[in-house]
Amino acid sequence: MRGVTAALLALSALIVGTAASRPAEWRWNLPEGVAPPPVPADNPMSVAKVELGRRLFHDADLSIDGTMSCATCHSQRRGFADRTSTRPGVHGDPGKHNVPGLANVAYLTPLTWADPRQTRLQEQALVPVFGDHPVEMGMKGQEAELARRLGGDRCYRRMFRAAFPETRGRIDAEAVAKALAAFQRTMLSFNSAYDRYRRGESGAAPSSEALAGEGLFTRHCTACHAGENFTDQRFHALSHGATATDGGLGEITGLTEDHGRFRTPGLRNVALSGPYFHDGSLETIAEAIAQHGGTVPAFSEVERDALLAFLDTLTDQDFASNQSFGYPEKACGKPLL
Amino acid sequence: MLRLLAPALALTLLAQPLAAQEHEHATCEAGTVALPADLAGWNDRQPMNAGTRENRLETAALVLGQAYDTTLSRTPDVRYIVRPEKPGGSVSYGGIFALDVTEAGTYRVALGSAAWIDVVRGETVIQSGKFGHGPDCTGVRKMVEFALEPGRYVIQIAANGQADLPLLVSRLN
Repeated sequence: MRGVTAALLALSALIVGTAASRPAEWRWNLPEGVAPPPVPADNPMSVAKVELGRRLFHDADLSIDGTMSCATCHSQRRGFADRTSTRPGVHGDPGKHNVPGLANVAYLTPLTWADPRQTRLQEQALVPVFGDHPVEMGMKGQEAELARRLGGDRCYRRMFRAAFPETRGRIDAEAVAKALAAFQRTMLSFNSAYDRYRRGESGAAPSSEALAGEGLFTRHCTACHAGENFTDQRFHALSHGATATDGGLGEITGLTEDHGRFRTPGLRNVALSGPYFHDGSLETIAEAIAQHGGTVPAFSEVERDALLAFLDTLTDQDFASNQSFGYPEKACGKPLL
Repeated sequence: MLRLLAPALALTLLAQPLAAQEHEHATCEAGTVALPADLAGWNDRQPMNAGTRENRLETAALVLGQAYDTTLSRTPDVRYIVRPEKPGGSVSYGGIFALDVTEAGTYRVALGSAAWIDVVRGETVIQSGKFGHGPDCTGVRKMVEFALEPGRYVIQIAANGQADLPLLVSRLN
């Protein structure tokens, strides 16, 4: 009897221990009819991983001199885009592309303006941190330094253990990137005025001008700005294309016909995320529309204003102010800085 | 004529009203061009150590129009009154300074880097006004304007890449 009891106790301890070490599952909070974004099998979601990724996203220790975090360029109030045309790196190197917003980035592939190879968030996250074309956060060759910085913080060690029990909380570039990716996957934006109107919510009807703009947009723009996120996720060339220092997709493929082709940007929160185009050279949406010559009609002033009114309905202020995406007030139960 | 143009140029560079303090800058050697009148004190800098606590700012009190070569502290050693929007990592530098304003007006904080600037009164962050970079080749990397009423303010500097930081606060009008 004693032996049976001992075995049962050991079994229950094992069960409890397993449950305790398994990170709490992530629960998606999505409107009805919206499917969760794809999650790679090698980087499942968990509450602990998202929490860690959020802290890392806002931590400037991911840059060589501690001055630049992901959030430095991906500013929440701008839909996680940037006010500058292209952001210089920590050493002052000019940026190459305008910083894209991150609304619903988990649904997008490829992820960047001109690199079709960047299809996974956990791989793309390493580019600004460790990349050198251009240098952004300046950590190339500093993987050990990054691990030293984060590992020197007792709370980070605890957070990594909770997020990555399978490696016993190993702190390295791979884990950092996976946590960042998990957090970015939670950056969901489905509560713009247009979303609410489409869901039939009362009081969400756009103005007649915006509805007229929707009609124009549907007729003339959705060949490229298609789908829930207003992008066909393909590469196109407009007259405002390649520059001497930026050949777009052609730089990657080496094909002449790809020279000056860039991925169609999504338009969620477009009113927050200027300046526009791959090089951020256009200050206003009106200028950006005007640069689509040849692919859309020459809009009259009334039509342009209608389009602008429609595009304004794509702003999701909840997304731009949601505390769960912002700088974490606390970590491990204690205030941060 | 050139003396008239120079302040106008500086104002042009500050023409973007921004809530955030984003920056772009030209790279060239500092000190190779003449300064506009409203930045005239920039090259005559006095040393000053930044404070790390609000109640220990006697030796970190800024004088308007006087430029300083400030020495910042490691960020983890600084106790900010209000958490900066861009607080900087553990390997960055920061610090706080006192500023007494006796007349209402527009004041400008100019830095030799793109560090984050907050101007705080009590526990309230003063909304920044126009933002820009200094004239190229002057070493003035960033300028942010604030409308201030008379009183005691604390200037918070955060997310600087090194301990040394040139700083000048001046009244514009």
